[in-house]
Amino acid sequence: MSAPKKKNFQIEAFKHRVVVDPKYPEKTWKILEHAIHEIYNHNASGLSFEELYRNAYNMVLHKFGEKLYSGLVATMTSHLSEISKSIEAAQGELFLEELNRKWADHNKALQMIRDILMYMDRTFIPSTHKTPVHELGLNLWRDVVIHSSKTQTRLRDTLLELVHRERNGEVINRGLMRNIIKMLMDLGSTVYQEDFEHHFLEVSADFYRLESQQFIECCDCGDYLKKAERRLNEEMERVSHYLDTRSLDKITNVVEKEMIESHMQRLVHMENSGIVNMLVNDKYEDLGRMYNLFRRVPTGLSIVRDVMTSYIRDTGKQLVTDPERLRDPVDFVQRLLDLKDKYDKIISLAFGNDKTFQNALNSSFEYFINLNTRSPEFISLFVDDKLRKGLRGVSEEDVEVVLDKVMMLFRYLQEKDVFEKYYKQHLAKRLLAGKTVSDDAERSLIVKLKTECGYQFTSKLEGMFTDMKTSQDTMQGFYASNGPDLVGDSPTLAVQVLTTGSWPTQPSATCNLPAEILGVCEKFRSYYLGTHTGRRLSWQTNMGTADLKATFGKGQKHELNVSTYQMCVLMLFNNADRMTYKEIEQATEIPASDLKRCLQSLACVKGKNVLRKEPMSKDIAEDDAFFFNEKFTSKLYKVKIGTVVAQRESEPENQETRQRVEEDRKPQIEAAIVRIMKSRRMLDHNNIIAEVTKQLQARFLPNPVIIKKRIESLIEREFLERDKNDRKMYRYLA
Amino acid sequence: MKKEDMVKLISSEGFEFVIDKDAAMVSQTIYNMLTSPGSFSETQHGEVTFPEISTTILEKICKYFYWHLQFASGKETEFHIEPELTLELLMAANYLHT
Repeated sequence: MSAPKKKNFQIEAFKHRVVVDPKYPEKTWKILEHAIHEIYNHNASGLSFEELYRNAYNMVLHKFGEKLYSGLVATMTSHLSEISKSIEAAQGELFLEELNRKWADHNKALQMIRDILMYMDRTFIPSTHKTPVHELGLNLWRDVVIHSSKTQTRLRDTLLELVHRERNGEVINRGLMRNIIKMLMDLGSTVYQEDFEHHFLEVSADFYRLESQQFIECCDCGDYLKKAERRLNEEMERVSHYLDTRSLDKITNVVEKEMIESHMQRLVHMENSGIVNMLVNDKYEDLGRMYNLFRRVPTGLSIVRDVMTSYIRDTGKQLVTDPERLRDPVDFVQRLLDLKDKYDKIISLAFGNDKTFQNALNSSFEYFINLNTRSPEFISLFVDDKLRKGLRGVSEEDVEVVLDKVMMLFRYLQEKDVFEKYYKQHLAKRLLAGKTVSDDAERSLIVKLKTECGYQFTSKLEGMFTDMKTSQDTMQGFYASNGPDLVGDSPTLAVQVLTTGSWPTQPSATCNLPAEILGVCEKFRSYYLGTHTGRRLSWQTNMGTADLKATFGKGQKHELNVSTYQMCVLMLFNNADRMTYKEIEQATEIPASDLKRCLQSLACVKGKNVLRKEPMSKDIAEDDAFFFNEKFTSKLYKVKIGTVVAQRESEPENQETRQRVEEDRKPQIEAAIVRIMKSRRMLDHNNIIAEVTKQLQARFLPNPVIIKKRIESLIEREFLERDKNDRKMYRYLA
Repeated sequence: MKKEDMVKLISSEGFEFVIDKDAAMVSQTIYNMLTSPGSFSETQHGEVTFPEISTTILEKICKYFYWHLQFASGKETEFHIEPELTLELLMAANYLHT
C-alpha cells in the first residue's frame, strides 16, 4: 500500500481460512451465477457489488479460478444462445433493431460482469493466459450470435439490402446501420471485413458496373461525369456516416474502377460531348470534373492529357498550315495567342494549373509553331505591327502583357536566330522611319529577349538603339557648326549613322542624288569625317525617306512624304514635264526593280498619283513615259506615298533570308564544335552531334547533316582529325 | 458538500466512514462499484459495506486515500504504517486494488 500500484505480488490466504467448507466453491459460484442471470434479466438493482466482488475474489484466492472462469463461459454462452434465438425469431424489419437492442444489453451486462470479476481479470487470467472477460464476452457474442447459421447470412443480406435501397434513393435508418456496423467493428476488424466489407465491395462493384453500363448508353460525357461524381460523393458520405473509415479507399476504388476506369476511353472520345467538345466550348466545369475524377485512377490524367495534346496539335497544325491564315501575319499570331490564352484558361480553371498539363500545352505549341517555317517572321511582324500602331494609347501594363505573350511564343520557336534576323530588319525599318510608338516598349522587349537568350542575342539590337541616339547628337553638332551656311532654301538633312554589322544592311545600291541634296550630303560627310577619323561613310539610299513640298496645277500645295528613291525621281520633274523610263533610269541609276516599284507607287495608286503614265496600265514597262500630273488633288495637305511598310516577304525574299540564316549558322556550329572538342579532346560522332545540338538549342535546331559538313570542313582546315583506328572518333588538334 | 459527492464506507464492526467519492475512488475496486453500469445497491445508496475489513484498517485506508490524493505525485512525505497493521493492510490493499 505504501508503494501504490505495485501489483505483481501474490497474497497467500490466512491459515485459518484454508479450512473451508468443501461445498464452499459450489455455493459461492451459485451466488455469482445467480447474479449473472439477474444482470442479464435487468434485475441487478438488488445486488451488492461488494458481495459479488468479494465472492469472486475469494474464489480466485482459494484457487477456484478455473471453476469461476469455466462457469462464466458456460453461463454466458447459454444466455447468448437464448438471445440468439430471440434475434432469429425477430421478423423482417425488426431483425436489426432486435439485434441492436440485444447487443446494447449484452454490452452493458458484460461490463458489469467484468467489473465484478475484476480480480479474476487482474490475477487469474494473465497467469493462465486466458482471454480477459470483456474480450471473452465479445468472442462469445461473435460465435454464438453473429455466426449462428441463421443470423450470419441474414445479417449480411439485410445490411447489403439496406445499402442498396439507400443507393436507389430510399431513406434508411442510418443510426441503426451505424450501430450494427460499429458492433461488427467492435468484434474485431476481421469480423467487419469478412462478414460485411468484403461482400459489400463485391455487391457495390456489381451495382456500379451495371449502372455505369446504363449511364454510358444514354448519357453524354458531361452528364455521365456528373452522375459518377455524385455516386462517388454518396459513397464517401456513406462511409463517413456508418462505415469504417478504412473502407473509404476501398469503396471509392470500386466506384472509380467501375464508373471511370472501365469507361475512360469511351468517355474522352465521346462524339459531341467528349474532351474535344468540352475544349471547343470552354466547358470549364465539365473539364474540371473530369480532371478531378480521372485523377483518381492511375492512367486517367494521362489519357485526358493525350487527347488534349493531340487535339491542340491538330487545331494548331491546321492554323499554321492554313494558307488563308498565312496572308495576314498579324492575325496569324493573334490567333496563336488566342489559342494559348484559351488553353491557359482551361488549365487554370479546370485542371488546377497542373504542371503536366502545362508542359503538354507547351510542347504542343512548340510542335506546331515550328511546323511553319515562317512563324519566326510572323511573330516579328506581329511585334512590328504592335510597336508601330497597335500599342498606341495602350497603358504600360497592357503593353507589358502583350510583350510577355509574344515572348512566350518566342520561347516555343526552335529557330530563334531566324526570328532575330527578321526582328533586326523590322526594327531597323521602324527606327529609320521613326515609326516606333514607344521607346520604352522597344527597350522592354529587348530586355526580355536578353534575359531569355543572353547578351549575345541582343547586343546588335542594342547597338541599333545606340546608333540612333548618337546620330541625333551628330546632327545637332552638324547644324551647330554649319548652321549659317545651311539656312535658306537648301534642304534639311537628317542623317542616321549606322554601324556596319549592327544593322541589316543590304548591298548598298547607290543612286544619283539630286544636286541640291548632294551638296548637303557632302557637307555632312566632311563634317563627320572631320570629327571622327578613320571612318567610312556610305549612303544607304534605299532606306531613307524625304518630305517634299510640291505645287500643282491649280496652285494648291502639298507636302509629299516619299522614300529617297521616289524623291530622286520627283526631283527630276522640277526641270522636265515628261520623262521616259529609260531617261529616269539613266538619271537616277536606281536599281531596276526598286525603280519600278517606286514608279508604280507614284503613278499607279489612285489618290496618290502625282505622276501620270502613258500608256495607262497597272505595270511599269521599259518604254513607258511619265508626266507630272498637274491635276493631282488630295483632301489632305500631307500626302504619304507608297511608304515601304514591313510586309511578309515574297517567296524569293524568303528563300534569300533562309539562305543568309543558313550561312550565319555555319560559323556558330563550327564554334560550338571547336568549343566542345577543345574541352573533350576526343569524341565520337554521335556525341558531338548531341552536344552541339544541346549548345545551340537556345538559338536554333541544327541539322545533323549540316553539323557533319562543318566537321568535315574543320578536318580540312586541320582543326580536327579522325582517329586512325576508329574512324568514328575525332581528335582535337591544338 | 453535496450528498452525491460523498460515499459511506462501513467496516465489519458497523463503523461508518463518510468520505469524498474522489478519495474513495483511489481504490480501483470502489471505483468500479460506483461507476459500473446498471444499478448495484452500492451505486444506489452511496454506501459500501466491507464485512471483511475491520474499523482500524478501514480508518487507515481512508487516511491513505486522502494522503494519496494529496501527495501521491511527490515523494516528500511518508505514509506511516504501524507494523502490527501491515499484514491486514496488505490484504485489504489487494482486495481494494489500491
